[in-house]
Amino acid sequence: MNPGKAAASYEVLSPWAEADPIPLKGLAPRLDKLDGKKIGLLCNNKRAAPLILDAAEKLLKKKFPTARVSRFFAHSFSVSSLEKNRAGEFNKWLEGVDAVIASVGD
Amino acid sequence: MSAASSKGMPVIRVVPETVVSECTIVKDIQAAVKAVFNNVVDALTKPLTAAEKSPKSREPENPPRVIFKGTLEEVNRFFYQRGWTDGLPIIPPTEAAVKEMMTGTDFPADHLVEKLEPRLGKATIEKIAVNAVIAGCLPTYMPLLIAGVHALASNAVCGMMAASTGSFSPFWLVNGPIAKDINIRSTYGAASPGDIANASFGRAMGLITKNIRGIRKQVEDMGVLGNPGKYTWVVAENEENSPWEPFHVSRGFKKEDSTLTLMFAQSFQQMMPFGTDDKGILATIVGSIVPARQGTFAALLTPNNAKSIADGGWSKKALKEYIVKNTIVPDDYFSRLGLKTDKPFDRGDVTGPGVSPQIFRPNPHSPDPVQVFVLGGFGSWMGFLQGGPDPMITKVELPKNWAQLVKKYRNVVPNYAKY
Repeated sequence: MNPGKAAASYEVLSPWAEADPIPLKGLAPRLDKLDGKKIGLLCNNKRAAPLILDAAEKLLKKKFPTARVSRFFAHSFSVSSLEKNRAGEFNKWLEGVDAVIASVGD
Repeated sequence: MSAASSKGMPVIRVVPETVVSECTIVKDIQAAVKAVFNNVVDALTKPLTAAEKSPKSREPENPPRVIFKGTLEEVNRFFYQRGWTDGLPIIPPTEAAVKEMMTGTDFPADHLVEKLEPRLGKATIEKIAVNAVIAGCLPTYMPLLIAGVHALASNAVCGMMAASTGSFSPFWLVNGPIAKDINIRSTYGAASPGDIANASFGRAMGLITKNIRGIRKQVEDMGVLGNPGKYTWVVAENEENSPWEPFHVSRGFKKEDSTLTLMFAQSFQQMMPFGTDDKGILATIVGSIVPARQGTFAALLTPNNAKSIADGGWSKKALKEYIVKNTIVPDDYFSRLGLKTDKPFDRGDVTGPGVSPQIFRPNPHSPDPVQVFVLGGFGSWMGFLQGGPDPMITKVELPKNWAQLVKKYRNVVPNYAKY
């Protein structure tokens, strides 16, 4: 920069893209207790994910002996892939559980 | 969190734990889960807050188009502090500069090219041009940038690749006449700095990834080691010195078509071939595909290496088949390393009845897991890329006044002084 001259001024455009507002969803109501409930364990295909859920399942059954579990293996890292390729199967599984613990494994 | 937000759930309950990504140590995992298990129970049972029941969007619906006014230094500081750059200095995207950039396309400024995941940011012509100006592009790169945006939207896995802990980097391969029209380097040092097209096109796509896709370092991009290719990694195939048909022709395009191919390479390795004849080169390729790697494999052959192989009577197809057939993991490979399992990297091994010794396929889900690109100068060093899904190839559409545009900008090349 030349300190003897006034620096040029630039009026600049934003690089940050607009995104359409999308309908917002709140969380599903929480359970009052876990005893007797069916807990879904959602597992992506990162190799730590099933091990994390194994540990969670063990603790869950110890603390809530009447709770049951059901697993769903996503076979992908990507939520979009799951939505695109196995939406029907996934939604059917969701309907059959009371709550879900998802393990990303990352 | 950002992924959930882009699906309409800006508030979710996440229980952080201390398990390292891809961890295989069961006792560490058990201890980490035990430490936070009460938080998991709370997340499932604690009543929802008002914000969790009825969340509000975190972004304003109508961000200002003109965002700042200031000196070169002030503009640079402003953009950097908002996370809109790659850390290098930028060209201010003024109205005039963006307007000139958009002369590189016939589409109007508000034309929506794609909405890019995960943020579903609108990649309009103007927004692409703003990021192109920042990166230092010339207007003749707009057709390539538009093709690049289409490529990013062509496969849902692209978002995951950019955000992965594995630090996959976009690798952009240009084929067809556009490479010479805009001076994309295909010869000596094709992937090294020094050419405005190779440098700024890849840089602009990186900025588009940040500012339109919304994938920022350690926010959405959780790459553990990072990858220098994310600054820019752009080459053209050295078609005129290749003994085989160019890559885009092998994918069904005409030779006179221009195409842009996107791979997400994780690793780049260079090797001196064991010998410079076909046998030496083939052995080097097969010996360099290690079982620990995952994803598509690409051999980068110099014109000399490619000629040696072709002189040995190999077509590109036969070469690829040879690589797949002969990349074999010895039966005792893993046990000799002290591992109990015979396939610790289960995404790459092909096993089954009668399959012995194990055959390692770089990408077991792909019918075409090996790619061969000819590029670089005249020499013997070989390059190998590994990682990511099948290459995604997109045709580049040119504007009507392409010839005039090329004439205007083609001579923007470095002229090195001799000493």
